[in-house]
Amino acid sequence: MAVLCPMTDETLAAAAEEPRAAPGMTGTLRLYRRQDAVFRAITFLSAALVVVVLAGMIVFLAHGAIPALTAMGPSFFWTSDWDTVEDVYGALAPIAGTLITATIAMAIGIPVSFGIAMFLTEICPSVLRRPIGTAIELLAGIPSVVFGIWGLFYLTPVLQEYIQPALIDYLGPLPVIGMLFQGPPFGIGILDGGIVLAVMVLPYITSITRDVFMTVPPLLRESAYGMGCTTTEVVWKIVIPYCRVGLIGGVMLGLGRALGETMAVTFVVGNTYQISASLLAPGTTISAAIANEFNEAFEEQHLSALIALGLVLFLITFTVLALAKWMLLALDKREGR
Amino acid sequence: MAGETLTARPTVSTRPADDEAATVKVSVRDLHFYYDTFEALKNVNLDLEDRRVTAFVGPSGCGKSTLLRVFNRIYDLYPRQRAEGSVTIGGRNILDRDQDLNALRAMVGMVFQKPTPFPMTIYENIAFGIRLYHSLPKAELDDRVEHALKRAALWGEVRDKLGQSGLSLSGGQQQRLCIARTIATEPAVVLLDEPASALDPISTAKVEELISELRSDYCIAIVTHNMQQAARSSDYTAFMYLGELVEFGATEKIFTNPSDKRTADYITGRFG
Amino acid sequence: MSARVRRRGAVNIVVLSLSVAMALTGLAFLALIGWTLVSRGLAAINLDLFTLETPPPGSRGGLANAIVGSAMMTGLAMLIATPIGVLAGTYLAEYGRDSRFGGVARFINDILLSAPSILVGLFVYGFTVLPTQHYSAWAGSIALALIALPVIVRSTQDMIGLVPVPLREAAAALGAPEWRVMVSIVWRSAGSGMLTGVLLAAARISGETAPLLFTALNNQFWSTDLNAPMANLPVVIYRFALSPYDDWQRLAWGGAFLITFAILVLNVLARLVSARSQSKV
Repeated sequence: MAVLCPMTDETLAAAAEEPRAAPGMTGTLRLYRRQDAVFRAITFLSAALVVVVLAGMIVFLAHGAIPALTAMGPSFFWTSDWDTVEDVYGALAPIAGTLITATIAMAIGIPVSFGIAMFLTEICPSVLRRPIGTAIELLAGIPSVVFGIWGLFYLTPVLQEYIQPALIDYLGPLPVIGMLFQGPPFGIGILDGGIVLAVMVLPYITSITRDVFMTVPPLLRESAYGMGCTTTEVVWKIVIPYCRVGLIGGVMLGLGRALGETMAVTFVVGNTYQISASLLAPGTTISAAIANEFNEAFEEQHLSALIALGLVLFLITFTVLALAKWMLLALDKREGR
Repeated sequence: MAGETLTARPTVSTRPADDEAATVKVSVRDLHFYYDTFEALKNVNLDLEDRRVTAFVGPSGCGKSTLLRVFNRIYDLYPRQRAEGSVTIGGRNILDRDQDLNALRAMVGMVFQKPTPFPMTIYENIAFGIRLYHSLPKAELDDRVEHALKRAALWGEVRDKLGQSGLSLSGGQQQRLCIARTIATEPAVVLLDEPASALDPISTAKVEELISELRSDYCIAIVTHNMQQAARSSDYTAFMYLGELVEFGATEKIFTNPSDKRTADYITGRFG
Repeated sequence: MSARVRRRGAVNIVVLSLSVAMALTGLAFLALIGWTLVSRGLAAINLDLFTLETPPPGSRGGLANAIVGSAMMTGLAMLIATPIGVLAGTYLAEYGRDSRFGGVARFINDILLSAPSILVGLFVYGFTVLPTQHYSAWAGSIALALIALPVIVRSTQDMIGLVPVPLREAAAALGAPEWRVMVSIVWRSAGSGMLTGVLLAAARISGETAPLLFTALNNQFWSTDLNAPMANLPVVIYRFALSPYDDWQRLAWGGAFLITFAILVLNVLARLVSARSQSKV
């Protein structure tokens, strides 16, 4: 087994100084250098593709939006006539619909998710924590089209028969708030869309919130309890302030989802280009408008107007997601991750 | 001759008695090392001899591990770490920009503080390194794997389970597997970075025994926190403090009659 | 003092009750959806569902073409997205860790992770359907792949980040070239975590509807031609659920159940894989 003794200085020097290296080794080394370069290049190209996708998306949306935006000018953003026959496109209704449904979703989704997260981390008996947590995470995977048809077939009739008439009767006559609850109970509409969105983002925000709550060091929590704090005080004064940034980030991610969601809303929002103060009225959102009309849009202006809607949606969600990401990053930094 | 080529800074002690046939393997001159702007090694000069064990001791953060990581340029995996000066191995300054790192690392093996078995079988763990630079027939590869495991005193314990995951071994066995993996590639220099610090006393004893057996074939550099370990298993000892090589010489001399007060204080446990 | 304590206790009880009530309401809603899906879905499950094509209203039919179409497009999308995603994730976790480009790409990937899928559909429409002037399964697969891609990139990146540093150093210290360290050591250690990410990505795209609307469209008939429009479950559910026909609505529920079930299976698989990998380490 002569091969097994360590290298002599001569072979070492030879291999280190390549020109005189042992033939086998030099070839291998050169091969490895080439393979490394190739491997590095393909991983780089793959990563570059991610950037290209986003850039391509922006270019496509911006370029496609030009005809409609030049024809309509700034009035695209603040008029609400959407007339394919007259080729007049005002995007206010879908933009407003997108923002309002997302707001309703957040108004319902945030307190409920926080409630569930608090329940899971502070109140729930520990045997139930994992099963309930897992169930919620699995529910976050349910495709949005399922939430959409559930909203259409189950939530809408209930809203129309019971909830909306009650809202109209009791809240309708009130000053200011009453404006939100006027008109006949259609069932479908902005409120319906908002509620379905809320149910859809619920598991999503809950899982993030719970994870963020868990980042509070147990010691901090225990010291607070040790001082005689009640559960409420621990959550309000320790847990939430401690992970404020993470919570906002998580909520913004949920908001990003709600703003861009298509299928859950399209079924129940009503798909009508109108703006009404009443939440009970049918309306539309950007993504619902695109989903409904894109395949039937053959006129250049119409197509372009829809792409311009897409551009608006992109800008809104990009802003929200970028802020969310930035906040979560700040949290990571503070935790030294 | 290690001691004589040193420049003035470290106090040079006499060489050990059995010095015939000892040749300088690694020669360090004016070495400075920087993490970003922090100077972790300051003007280090020393020689490592073949078939000798050189121990590096000193308090945490003194730069002993950093020095070891210069010898195979593993620090090059990270940005903002750089070395200046020269480290000559086999007649060539390995700090040169055009030094092929794979070639260097094939020749300078390293064993880490915690066992690092690869997520593969015991056999594959050893064969991985051999296959990198040799395409051998199966039988010969088997022989070399067996030989490496025997050399690391692990063969008896794993001969019947070569197909099992390297992760299934105990901590001490894993570390010996890592040593076997390192010597299987026939390096000229073996670097051991606190190889026993994560092990229990029995495993530590086995690893130490192994090191003194490997001494006859390799140039070995070992970083340790453990004074007894340094005293027991090394021929030379280098004491480092705050990035400087304070004293370097025969182990016996360093431990019995150190020239520098800081060395004496450290050895006797007064600080660190 | 004692009044204060009593007040604090009262506040606590109110808040806790609210929290429990919220939790119960939320969970009840989610349970309701689950129950609706199961009861309506199971009622629609029969042999026809798996063997017959989507029917015209009023006649016998099933979802066979849509099931096969969905499986094909999801599979193809994963075949496209997995290698690219793994390589890109590797770059971002290793080579681009400290570079400016790496930082930008990581940020963009995280944005894409939650970007509205309908915009991905529009974009893919722009470079596939528009130039070729016809909808195709290819276009649908590409759209789905672009949605799966950021998920795989992110999970690969995270999983590679968990591989212990000394393990890489040990491999590099043997003289292994970078790509061998990556492929043989890092990918292998992170393997099950990466597989989890791939399964979750598959789960994510198998229910996507919006991006398919303008790319694969739909197909009333049996077709496995990748250059033609292809039937798929999400779009069939969308169309059929919105139709006034009872039998179509029934098929929509059947499809919704199937898709959710498939996603559930993928999610559970992903959990099993990641649980196993954690117990191993």
